[in-house]
Amino acid sequence: MKPLGDGAWRIARPEGLSAADLLARLRALPRVQDVVVTENFACVYFNPAAPPNDLAEALTRPSSGSAVALPQTLTLRARYDGPDLVDVGERLALSTEEVVRRHVERTYVVQAMGFLPGFAYLGPLDDKLALPRRASPRARVTRGAIGIAAGYTAVYPYASAGGWHLIATAVDFRAFSMEDGALLHVGDRVQFVRMG
Amino acid sequence: MVAVEIARVAGLATVQDGGRPGHMHEGVPPGGALVPELLARANGAVGNPAAAAAIEVFGTLALTARGGALTLATDDGHVETLAGGNHFTLTASRGARVRYVAVRGGIDVPLFLGGRGTLLVAGVGGFRGRGLQRADVLEIGAIPSGDAVAGVHPPVDALAPIRVIVGPDDESFDDAALATLLGASFTVLAASDRTGIRLAGPSLRPRSEDDAPPAPMIRGAIQIPSSGDPIVMGPDHPTTGGYRVLATIVTADWSRFAARAIGARVRFAAMTVEAARREARREMYDDLRPV
Repeated sequence: MKPLGDGAWRIARPEGLSAADLLARLRALPRVQDVVVTENFACVYFNPAAPPNDLAEALTRPSSGSAVALPQTLTLRARYDGPDLVDVGERLALSTEEVVRRHVERTYVVQAMGFLPGFAYLGPLDDKLALPRRASPRARVTRGAIGIAAGYTAVYPYASAGGWHLIATAVDFRAFSMEDGALLHVGDRVQFVRMG
Repeated sequence: MVAVEIARVAGLATVQDGGRPGHMHEGVPPGGALVPELLARANGAVGNPAAAAAIEVFGTLALTARGGALTLATDDGHVETLAGGNHFTLTASRGARVRYVAVRGGIDVPLFLGGRGTLLVAGVGGFRGRGLQRADVLEIGAIPSGDAVAGVHPPVDALAPIRVIVGPDDESFDDAALATLLGASFTVLAASDRTGIRLAGPSLRPRSEDDAPPAPMIRGAIQIPSSGDPIVMGPDHPTTGGYRVLATIVTADWSRFAARAIGARVRFAAMTVEAARREARREMYDDLRPV
C-alpha cells in the first residue's frame, strides 16, 4: 500500500478479484470517497484528515455481498471506417475484413475506466490484434472514434488527443446522460454491431 | 430574475465550484476551482458557502448586473454592490495566475454529477459546458448566504516551498532525480491549464522509458514523461495516466502551488504522510465541498 499524496492509497491489484468486484468492495468502505481500478492498481481516495481503516479486510472477505451492481450488456453500433484500418491490417498481416471480423466477433468486458470521462478500456482484445500505441499520438481524435492499442479497444467519448489505432466509428454513442451519469461501468459487457 | 451578463472576456473564464468528487470510477475528474482557497475567499466575502459556484478568470472579465441589484466579491476580499445595469471589471493582477468573482447567492447553473463546475474536456457542467462568452447571461442562485466571512483562508504565500509526499513511483527513478526535485528550482510554463501544470527545470528522467500501463492519478501528482519535464495533475486531470509519479503535492499546499503565475519559481520540500495528515486536520477542507 503506497500513499498517492495525503488523500489516496494505491495498492497492487490482488489476485483473483475481478475489477468490478474490487471496485465494489473498496467503494463500500467507510470514509472512501472514490476508487479507481486499472490493469495493475487499485486506488482509494479519501479526505486527508480522515483516512479509511486498513484495506486488507475488504479484500480478503469471502464476498462483497449485495454491493456489486449487476453488469449490463450493451450493444454499440460501429461503422468500420477508421483512418488506421488499412494500416492496422498491413501491420498485422491480416486482411481488413479479418481485422473487422476479429474485432466485432468478441464480447468485451469493461476492464477499467479512465483517461477521459466515460472512456472504457474494453478487453481482452483478440491476441491477433495486439499492437502498441502509435509512435506519435494524434493531436485530435474525433468523438466516437473506436481505437485499439495495448490489448484493449475503446470508444473516444470526446474529441481529444490520442495514440490509439482508429479502426471504426461508433454510431450515436453518448458517454453520459444528465439523468444516469456514465453509460459504461467497470464489469459491463459490450458487443459491437457492424453497421458498415 | 437577477443575473449577470458577460460584457467582455479576454482569456478563459468558466463557472467553477468545489468540484464533483466521487465520479473518478467513471473516468470523471474531481474538478473544482484551480485555487480552492481563493474561491473560498471570494465566496466568504459575500457570505456564500466556500464552495459555491463562482466565476474563475484567467485574464480579464467585465460583467453587467441585470434584473436588479447584486452583491459581488473578488478573491482579494473586495466587495461591491452593483445596481441593475451597472458594470464591474475584474482585471488580471500582477503575480496572480487566476482570479475569482463570486456573487451573493451563487451562480445558478445546473448540477451535473453533483457539481456545477465546467469540465471543458467533456463539454459538460458550468454554463453550457464551455468558457464564458460576451452576452452570456448567468442567473444568480438563492443558496442560503450568511454574514460575510473574511480571512478564513489566509492570503496565498507565493514564496514558501511546496511540500510533497515522495512516490509512489520513486523506485522507477535514480536517487539523483528525487534529489533534483527537492533541491532545484522549477518554473511554471505557459502551456499549463486546468488539466495539468507544466514545469521547466533540470531533467528528472525515469530510469526506463517503457510505456507504463495507465495508473490511477490524483490532483497534485507530479508525473514525469520521458522528456523529463514534470507535469503536475490539475483539477481536471485524466483519472488515469501513463507516466510515472515521482512525488505528490500535499492537499494543504495545493492552492499555494496552483496560484503561481506563469514564469513563477517553484521549489519542493519532502513531507511525511503523518505530518500532512496533521496539517489537513488543522485546515478546514470540509467547507470546500460542493454546495
